[in-house]
Amino acid sequence: MNLFADEPVFADEPKLPTTVEIASSGESALRVTGATGDAERDWRLVHKLARALTAGEATLPGIETAIPTYDAVLVEFDAMLLDATTVRGAIAAALEGIDVDAPLKAAPRRFRVPVRYGGEHGPDLVEVAALAGLRPEEVVEAHAAPEYTIRCLGAPGGSPMLDGPDLGIPVPRLRSPRAHVRQGVVSLAGRQATITPAAAPGGWMLIGHTPLTVLDLAGSPFVPYEPGDTIRFHPISDEEHAALRGRRLAPEETE
Amino acid sequence: MNPQLTVLGTGIAVVTDLGRTHGPGLGLAVGGALDQYSARVANILAANDERAALIEVTAFDFSFSVDADVLIAVTGAEMELVVGDVERPMWEPVSVRAGERVELSGMRTGMRTYVAVHGSFDAPRLLGSVAPDTVIGFGGSLAEGDRVALNASTVLPPNPYFGMSLFNFDVDRPYFGGTTPISVMDGPDLDEFAGTARRLFDRPYRVTEQSNHIGLRLAGPLPVRTSTGEVLSRGVPIGAVEVPPGDELLILHRGRGVTAGYPVLGVVTSTSLDALGQVRPGELVSLRPIDVDQASRDARAWRARLDTLRSRARTVFACLGIEARDRHGEDPARPR
Repeated sequence: MNLFADEPVFADEPKLPTTVEIASSGESALRVTGATGDAERDWRLVHKLARALTAGEATLPGIETAIPTYDAVLVEFDAMLLDATTVRGAIAAALEGIDVDAPLKAAPRRFRVPVRYGGEHGPDLVEVAALAGLRPEEVVEAHAAPEYTIRCLGAPGGSPMLDGPDLGIPVPRLRSPRAHVRQGVVSLAGRQATITPAAAPGGWMLIGHTPLTVLDLAGSPFVPYEPGDTIRFHPISDEEHAALRGRRLAPEETE
Repeated sequence: MNPQLTVLGTGIAVVTDLGRTHGPGLGLAVGGALDQYSARVANILAANDERAALIEVTAFDFSFSVDADVLIAVTGAEMELVVGDVERPMWEPVSVRAGERVELSGMRTGMRTYVAVHGSFDAPRLLGSVAPDTVIGFGGSLAEGDRVALNASTVLPPNPYFGMSLFNFDVDRPYFGGTTPISVMDGPDLDEFAGTARRLFDRPYRVTEQSNHIGLRLAGPLPVRTSTGEVLSRGVPIGAVEVPPGDELLILHRGRGVTAGYPVLGVVTSTSLDALGQVRPGELVSLRPIDVDQASRDARAWRARLDTLRSRARTVFACLGIEARDRHGEDPARPR
C-alpha cells in the first residue's frame, strides 16, 4: 500500500531490469527478444530499442534497419562495416536509456475501420467459426469488440499487426497459401490479426474486407498509422462497402 | 535537357540499386540487386557511387541506346556485349557514342547482368531507393521504347584503341555455373529442428521453377520442425532458411516479406546470397556450414577488394578527367 499518495506509485520499487536475449541471425543481423517476463514491456522495449538504434542521436553508421514486432526486434547491419560484437555493444548502450514502462506513444491516434465480413469478402469466416465452435456472427462480434493496439508494421506493405480477437483457439494458417490476396483483406492467423494494405500471396484466414485504401506511396509516411496507435473494426453492409470504396484510412479527429 | 537511355529490346530488366535499406523497419522489403557484388563493381567501373541506380537484366537479351556519349560498365552473368557492332569486354569501363546500339545477348552462365552508366539514372525514389517493389506496386520492368533519364551530361574519355580494352582493372570475377556452394550459418531457431538440421548438408538441392527475387525454393532433404508452438510474427533476415508447409526448402532473398511466423533454421551468408542471385532454376546448390565469425571475415575481405578496385579506378578516372561520383543523389522522388 502506498502511503504517500502524491508520490508516483512505483517510485520506491526497484526498476525492473531491462533484460533481453540476443540471438545470432547471420553475419549481418541480430535478433533481440524481450525477456522482461511481461509481454507489454517486451513490446515497448523492442520498439524503443529499434528507434534508439535507427533514429537516435547515437546511431552507429552501418546499422541499416531494425524490424520490431511483438516481442522481438531484428537489427540488420552492413557486415562489410560492422561486426556483431560492435552491434551488441550498441544494443547494450541503447538499452541503458530505455524506460520499458513509459508508453510507446504519448498520444496514440485512433483508427476506425469499416469491414464487410463473410461471403466473398471473407471466404474463411465460416471455417474460422467452425474451428472456434462459434457462429459466424459471434466471430464478427469478437473481432469488432476490442480497441486493438497496432503492435508493429509487417509484410506486406506495412500491414498493421494486431493481437487477434479472443476466439478461444489459435487460428491455423492455411495448409496451402493463396497465390493472390487482394488489398484491404482483414485476416487472422494464430493469435494475430491484420489488414493487408497491398495484394500479395497469403496463408492467413480471410474473414472480411475493408473498402478503405490503406497504402499511399505518395504519402509520407505511406501508411497512416504507427505502432502504438489503435484500430477498431465495425461491420458494414454491401452498400456501405461500395460507397466507401477507395476512401483513405485516416485517424479519428481528436476531441 | 538531360541525356536519355532508350530501351530498344528487353525481356526482364529493371532500374534498381542496392536496395531500400530503411524499408524493412516500415514493413517494406529491402529489394535491390540480387547480386550486390556485381552491382557494386559495375558502378565502381562506371565511376559512380556503389549505391547508384543501374539496370539489372535477368536471363534474356537487352539492348539500348543513349543520346549522348557515355561511359558504361557491364558485370554479372556472362553475356555478349556489342557496342555499335564491336564486341566489348564485360567487367571493364566501355565508352559508348551517342546513338550507338548497345546489345547484351546470349546469357551463357549466371542469371543477372548489371549495366551501370556514368552519372547514373534519374528515376523515382521511395525511401531513398529506386529499387522496384512488386508487392506495393513501386517501379517495374522496363519495356521496349521506355526512356530513362540520365543524371546531368557526362564526359566520354577518348578511346584511341578502338576495339581494345579501355582499361583493364583486373576485377575479381565471381564464377557462375556448375553446382554452386552456398554457406549457411546456424539460425536463431535451429533448436526447433532437433537433430534434423544436418540434413541441409547431406546432398545438393535442385533450385525449382518457383524461385524468384523473394526467395529460392529448393528440392532435396528436408529438416523437420520438432516444436509445435504457435510462432508470433518476427523480423526474418535476408538469407533465412525455412521449412514452410510443402515439400521444398525456402531460402529468402532480398524481396522477402520482412515479417513471418516460420522458425529460421539457418541463414545464408551475404556473399552466398550474391551467388544465389546468379543460380538458374534447375541448377544445383550444395549447402555447407560456416560460422558467423568466418562469414564476417569473408564480408570484410570482399569489402577490401571493392575498396582496392575503387581506389585503382579513381586514380585512372582522375587522370582521364572523369569525375568519380561518391553520392548517389538523394533527390526526393520526382513524379513521372
